Amino acid sequence: MEPIVVVGSGASGVHFALTALRKGRRVLMLDVGHTARGTVRPSDSLNELKKNLPDPIDYFLGSRYESLVLPGGHGEYYAFPPTKQHVFKKPAGFQHRASGFNPIYSFAAGGLAEAWTGGCYPFTARELNKFPFSYEELAPYYAKVAENIGINGADDDLTSVFGWQGDLMKPLDLDDHASLLLDTYKRHRTVLKEKFGCSMGRARCAALSKELPNRKACSYCGRCLWGCPSGAFYTPSLTLDECRTYPNFQYIPGLYVDHFRMDNSGKAKTVVASSAKGEIQEFAADSLVLAAGTLCSAKIFLESIYRNTAETPELRGVMDNRQILMPFVNLRLLGRKWNPNSYQYHQIAIAVENANEHLHGLVTTLKTALIHPLVQTLPFDLGTAVSVFRNIHGALGMVNINLSDERREENHVKLDVTTTPHRLSIQYRAKPDEPQRLKRAISTYRKILRKLGCFAPSRTVHIRPMGSSVHYAGTLPMQSTRVPLTCSKYGRSHDVENLYFADGSTFPELPAKNITLTLMANATRIAEEAF
Amino acid sequence: MNNTSQLERECHTYTQYLIGQSPSPYVVNRYLDFHQKSDAVRASGFDAFDRFLVSLSARRPFWAGMADSYASVFRKDSVVRKKLVVTLALLECAASSFEALDDVQGLSLAATIFQLSWRALRYSLLLGASVLVFTPVRIVTSLSLKPRALPVLER
Ligand SMILES: Cc1cc2nc3c(=O)[nH]c(=O)nc-3n(C[C@H](O)[C@H](O)[C@H](O)COP(=O)(O)OP(=O)(O)OC[C@H]3O[C@@H](n4cnc5c(N)ncnc54)[C@H](O)[C@@H]3O)c2cc1C
Ligand code: SF4
Repeated sequence: MEPIVVVGSGASGVHFALTALRKGRRVLMLDVGHTARGTVRPSDSLNELKKNLPDPIDYFLGSRYESLVLPGGHGEYYAFPPTKQHVFKKPAGFQHRASGFNPIYSFAAGGLAEAWTGGCYPFTARELNKFPFSYEELAPYYAKVAENIGINGADDDLTSVFGWQGDLMKPLDLDDHASLLLDTYKRHRTVLKEKFGCSMGRARCAALSKELPNRKACSYCGRCLWGCPSGAFYTPSLTLDECRTYPNFQYIPGLYVDHFRMDNSGKAKTVVASSAKGEIQEFAADSLVLAAGTLCSAKIFLESIYRNTAETPELRGVMDNRQILMPFVNLRLLGRKWNPNSYQYHQIAIAVENANEHLHGLVTTLKTALIHPLVQTLPFDLGTAVSVFRNIHGALGMVNINLSDERREENHVKLDVTTTPHRLSIQYRAKPDEPQRLKRAISTYRKILRKLGCFAPSRTVHIRPMGSSVHYAGTLPMQSTRVPLTCSKYGRSHDVENLYFADGSTFPELPAKNITLTLMANATRIAEEAF
Repeated sequence: MNNTSQLERECHTYTQYLIGQSPSPYVVNRYLDFHQKSDAVRASGFDAFDRFLVSLSARRPFWAGMADSYASVFRKDSVVRKKLVVTLALLECAASSFEALDDVQGLSLAATIFQLSWRALRYSLLLGASVLVFTPVRIVTSLSLKPRALPVLER
């Protein structure tokens, strides 16, 4: 019997593979699989790295200064560090066309979540309403994933918003700023709830507060943004490493999967991939699982349909969470010192649930991120800005607010066959009521922050382009009825019998929440129940 | 003055201006390296006035402040600002300059607000002065001087 062929080693692919391997199935994983340079000085804290590395500027800004943000740049508040540039590197010749959408791809071993910020939020029963299975069916898989990756969190006011409250590790130590925000919230809890439907509490993060086999507990070294040196912070390459310990697993990186060929009965027969040198390789497949991320899986599927039938269908309903970045200053912390030796990503979350909207905001307090991208945005000369920034550094934070999305006909991906090589074409139009939704969301969060003793200047609020949240979903949704260009509740294609989708392609809706925990749980469910 | 010594001078003056210290030889080397590798300070879009701002700002921290104040409102993406941001980025990654940037005095809230207000007032005064000095220069350079390249190191 041929192995199950899985395309992609991202969060979805590795959780599918690990489950299939544990069931004794043979798995062949094909991947482009770009990798990072190795970890440097694993026991140093961030500031020790600045002191001890022979060339710290090379480490923090890159040998070609690729992480340096200059005036007139891209408008984001940070650039990805050199240690994570491989996550976004594209294979030569890879192209796309996009309108109203700013897609981000990963061709790394481990995929996009090699650069993620670790937020793990289960969907509630209400948020799974359009999925063809119940919350109770998914809950055991949330637990399995949590056991594999380690998630910390607390039972607090956000429990009802997060739904599942499984076996969480105790939360990490809070930094002073996050701690002050939570204390202030507790004093104003009732009024915040009544006025805005606001609940606040500890975030759920994929970072270890206690040791696991082969992974240390978080040491608060402050290096999260540059890549955790001890494995305390979860990335999918850790699960890929675990898969590699199984004799029934074969991983072939360096291959770009272009399409699959079908036999006369309409089943996928072989997978066609090319190496960086352009050598074509073909692999026999009894079952093919596409876990290349929503957009890349769509590209492989559409290319295959075109090659086998000369048709170019549109995959309708692509979704992403619109995100708003809202920097704020906590007025009580002006001039206060801050501790660089702390966990760097979000530690608290602010949810808003009212009749109009459910919103999910992740709060990050500023610590060791590079400051030059922020200093240059202050409305002063740089000499003044440096001095002002020193005094407000410990008081700064940012809320990243997520809005929900739904599948709409006008938002689609299709194959553009007018170019060689063919390229994916993505079109996205926001809903007409989006400006009002954004306005309401901004106003609500600014008021909540004010109540928490913080000021969020309106001119610094940044509405990120669609595509920036990288929560892509909805192109080949799961549904119970057999309709073309959809799949079954087990991710099995309704068009090609032995083809499965194990990533965000299958999601019929997108709540205002980070998606990856549900991606991992769903991929685990598909491997467990369909294979 | 050759290109290297002009760039070294910029790095020294800008570091003094930003953190009140001299740059380490490592930072100076990296400043030169940046000018060798990056197109950002050779790209089109800068003119005789940009060139004037850079050469004046490299003389003394005071002039760096004047040029920077003016650019912070009227030339946000100017070369002088880019060079200052490059200097800042290099300083924040290297010992011991990162400590100077992170150093907080830990004053009381009232003292901090007073200090911030004083900095803002000082900035407004400097901005006003820079407008008086640089507006005529800008008019003159736009009429008379031809654009020339800024110093870079050969690749
Ligand atoms: C900065 C950042 C922060 C984020 N933070 C969070 C967060 O806090 N919480 C959260 O839930 N989510 C977060 N996300 C989103 C999260 O990373 C993604 O949702 C998730 O990684 C998607 O996983 P995936 O496996 O479905 O796809 P991907 O991660 O895109 O993986 C795709 C895999 O397929 C391979 N591949 C693609 N095309 C081909 C091909 N043609 N041939 C061979 N191989 C191919 C790639 O090499 C890769 O291994 C964040 C993302 C970013 C960028
Ligand atoms: S999670 Fe972050 S703070 Fe904790 S050990 Fe890893 S890099 Fe250090």
